[in-house]
Amino acid sequence: MPSKRASGYATTIAPIACGRGGPHASRTARRHRCCRTPSTRDVDGVHDMGGMHGFGPVVEAGGDLPYHERWEPRVFAIQMLVGIEGLGAGPGGRAVREEMEPAEYLAASYYERWLFSAERRLQRKGTIAPGEVESMMERLEAGESMPTHRDPAMAERILADLQATYPMEPPPEEARFGSGQRVRVKRIHPAGHTRSPRYARGAVGVIEDVRGADRLPDRAVYGEDVAPEPVYSVGFSSSDLWGPSQGSPWTVLLDLWESYLEPG
Amino acid sequence: MTKDHHHPHPESAVELRARALEALLAERGLVSTDAIDAVVELYEHDVGPQNGAKVVARAWVDEEYRARLLGDANGAIAELGFGGAEGDNMVVVANTPTIHNMVVCTLCSCYPWPVLGLPPSWYKSPPYRARAVSEPRAVLGEFGVELGDDVEIRVWDSSAEVRYLVLPLRPSGTEGWSEAELAAIVSRDCMIGTAVPRVLDSAAG
Repeated sequence: MPSKRASGYATTIAPIACGRGGPHASRTARRHRCCRTPSTRDVDGVHDMGGMHGFGPVVEAGGDLPYHERWEPRVFAIQMLVGIEGLGAGPGGRAVREEMEPAEYLAASYYERWLFSAERRLQRKGTIAPGEVESMMERLEAGESMPTHRDPAMAERILADLQATYPMEPPPEEARFGSGQRVRVKRIHPAGHTRSPRYARGAVGVIEDVRGADRLPDRAVYGEDVAPEPVYSVGFSSSDLWGPSQGSPWTVLLDLWESYLEPG
Repeated sequence: MTKDHHHPHPESAVELRARALEALLAERGLVSTDAIDAVVELYEHDVGPQNGAKVVARAWVDEEYRARLLGDANGAIAELGFGGAEGDNMVVVANTPTIHNMVVCTLCSCYPWPVLGLPPSWYKSPPYRARAVSEPRAVLGEFGVELGDDVEIRVWDSSAEVRYLVLPLRPSGTEGWSEAELAAIVSRDCMIGTAVPRVLDSAAG
């Protein structure tokens, strides 16, 4: 049985409406993320960060930990459970996080983005309704204790799924491109999820390997029934991506679906 | 248990929201508290860079294992009992005296969970995602890694479903070490490619 942890799409995308205002217009109103982004395909955005300037140093105090607060791994776990237990709908968590409004995406912490995607996917399935999270926030703020629910079988299910491996399909024998061949990344400007980073579009690279066959995420995440196609490892010289640089050039390698490539 | 017992510090809006989502799902019996606990514990205790370090140490002492690891990483990693989510399509890239590999995900946070656990904050941060591909030497310099001009840096941007693990060079001075001793000098960052294993005086005995 294929894993649902990465997908869980292919179901009806319900419109998102949040019922702004009303009883939860206080501190929660600032965080009314559920209604800001009407389109599920308006995502060629700020998450695509390769080559951007101005973010500052990489190494900073506290940066070595995967998270800093106890709620963060719990949101991670909830997102996993939403997928595996089939509680969500629409594109998977990653594509949903890309729907965040750009300034909000940058301002949000990593697991805040995961919280956003878990809520959206739950709403799209109809598992939770707009306003219900806010209502629970008010109950907890008023001092209600956290409800708990025990289900050892669910714990076993998710542990089994997280420790199972689901490899890509092998590449077809007749892939369009072969190792050593020069290819150019197509100039595209999609409004939806894509794995063709902006910084490589238009650049010429060399096929190093065929990784396997996989469904084009640009269509598959929206539930389209697409056939697997070859995914290539493509190497690019830094000068072809970024122009001349001080010091020695380097190589950047991307895994690119065949649909992203043309002869170079 | 009082609210203060759980929250000695004022609760942030996002923490409250996260707790509310968990509460909502638990109250309806849709998500179990023990399942959430199990996932948290899995990645805090069982799945982390200690797994990848065992893979690297084995490859350092066993040439045949190293060849299997570089040819069929999934299979070789499974030999040591590791595998699972975000390790479905593993590729191991080996450093040499003239090649240094490093791994990034410019679009998101792709990372080989079964061998490295959940990624550190810097790996998911805008600075690393932006700069690893456009100025890797400067990024490596921040981590204290200085490479000669004759070393080709290969930056793997995990843009598809392949997940990468760097096989670092075994440092000199480790001849005769056990696998456990070797694994102890293989840090997480060595396997991302932002560090290289070092033999400390104390470890060298």
